[in-house]
Amino acid sequence: MSKKVELNASMKKVFWRWYFFGQAGWNYEKMQGLGYYYSVYPLLKKIYGNVDVQAEASLNELQFFNTNNSMAPIILGVDGAIQEHQGIAAKDTVASLKTGMMGPMAGIGDTLFAVIPNTIIGSIASYMALKGNPVGLILWIAYGFLRLGIMRSFFYMGYREGVKLIDSLGDRLKKITSAANVLGMTVIGALIPSVITATFAYKYHNGGVKVSLQDLADQIMPGLAPALVVLMAYWLLGRKKMNSTRVTFILILVGILAYNLKIFA
Amino acid sequence: MQWWQILLITLYSGFAIYDGNNTTFGTVKPTMAGFFAGLILGDVQTGLVVGGTLNLLVLGVGNFGGSSMPDYMTGALLGTAFAVLSGKGAQFGATLAVPIGLLMIQLDVLARFCNTFLQHRAEKLVKDGKFKSATHMNLYGIIPTSLSRMIPVFLALIFGSQFVQNVVNNLPMWLMNGLKTAGGILPALGIAILLRYLPLKQNVAFLLIGFFLAAFLKVPVIGAAIIGLAMALVAFNHDSKPAQAEAATTGASDDDEGDMEDE
Repeated sequence: MSKKVELNASMKKVFWRWYFFGQAGWNYEKMQGLGYYYSVYPLLKKIYGNVDVQAEASLNELQFFNTNNSMAPIILGVDGAIQEHQGIAAKDTVASLKTGMMGPMAGIGDTLFAVIPNTIIGSIASYMALKGNPVGLILWIAYGFLRLGIMRSFFYMGYREGVKLIDSLGDRLKKITSAANVLGMTVIGALIPSVITATFAYKYHNGGVKVSLQDLADQIMPGLAPALVVLMAYWLLGRKKMNSTRVTFILILVGILAYNLKIFA
Repeated sequence: MQWWQILLITLYSGFAIYDGNNTTFGTVKPTMAGFFAGLILGDVQTGLVVGGTLNLLVLGVGNFGGSSMPDYMTGALLGTAFAVLSGKGAQFGATLAVPIGLLMIQLDVLARFCNTFLQHRAEKLVKDGKFKSATHMNLYGIIPTSLSRMIPVFLALIFGSQFVQNVVNNLPMWLMNGLKTAGGILPALGIAILLRYLPLKQNVAFLLIGFFLAAFLKVPVIGAAIIGLAMALVAFNHDSKPAQAEAATTGASDDDEGDMEDE
């Protein structure tokens, strides 16, 4: 573990490309896929001389990818180590590793790198700002440097583990991945009622009797409305001819309709 | 308002959204944006109060799975500018900033939508063997994203607070409130995408546990993550024993195939 890994010039470029432009081309269809390809380009160029093989590897890296952008360097490191050693033969390994790791990394990373700093630094900085003191803002800048340091060590860690992985393929990573899935799923479950805002607005008046749909829903299950919305989005994504862009528009439409039909507040 | 003030605030909005998406030095935070606008316009105090007020609205909210959020960075820039210029105070600025921030969700959606075409273009270029040109598509993504902030900020500063107030006042409330509700449920898409890409079937129990903790017990996400970590450790240790025993008796080759299918 402690052995320091040396990175070659193209791997170093991969890190900085991600750091500066990883989410520049974020889009609804493949999300970070474009930024991921942009980042690994120097590596692909170095490994694959043959045009056909490079095209195959490039399309593989342009696939749907979405994770927390501070955690992504781990995945980039693992990917780089594997492709450097095995080349295009590892195409499927790379694809499944990327999809296997991005979920748990997103669950953990959004908590670690978004919720925690936003809550802690955000509350300190806002509180001080309301008192007319800008000093709290320095924390954001300090956090920016801290995050850069963490991302770099993640990148080395991913590369180091990726190299090891080639020697003892699968087993260890499988266990880590399945344990990470447990963590990721738990976090996602908790995110549903925490980050989705949906409450029922419908109220029924009959003489002296007032019934609020939200109170009824709470008695069945708190967080019922967010859970229903997630189920709907999940189901929609599984339909043919559906992609995330279309689901986005459907959800916007649902939101507007639900508000105006007094279903959701 | 001086032309250089308009220029700097406009440039700030374009840079801040880039920074927020990539390098993360806090320029996209409402407090920082309010401070910057205050500095440029010579009233740091008002900027800090507008920014701080808006920042409190988005505490603990991350950008999950790429869903669009109310953009209080733009809100803080314009809110501060109009509070200082009109002399109506920070509270006026903060109040004006909220609908601006909500309105910006739509432009953010539009920008990310534009980038979908860049993704398609990159895929085509790769198929034609133009690998380097394909990487440029990623960089071009900065243009729609930054312009989605710079254009409205520029126009609002040129036309002034009365114009913005008129726009905000004349927006149909059914649409504005509807969009607010829509903004509340949009994170469901990010979560649903994650659920599609994770091995949901084997782990549905943990999804339920996490949901139960947050919905019924009101445990914060960090608390749920600690329980999740505990369960992950138990699963990891539990997994290790049979795997070692198995590895001793059977070859490792069957194992490898199982790996890939799981993911």
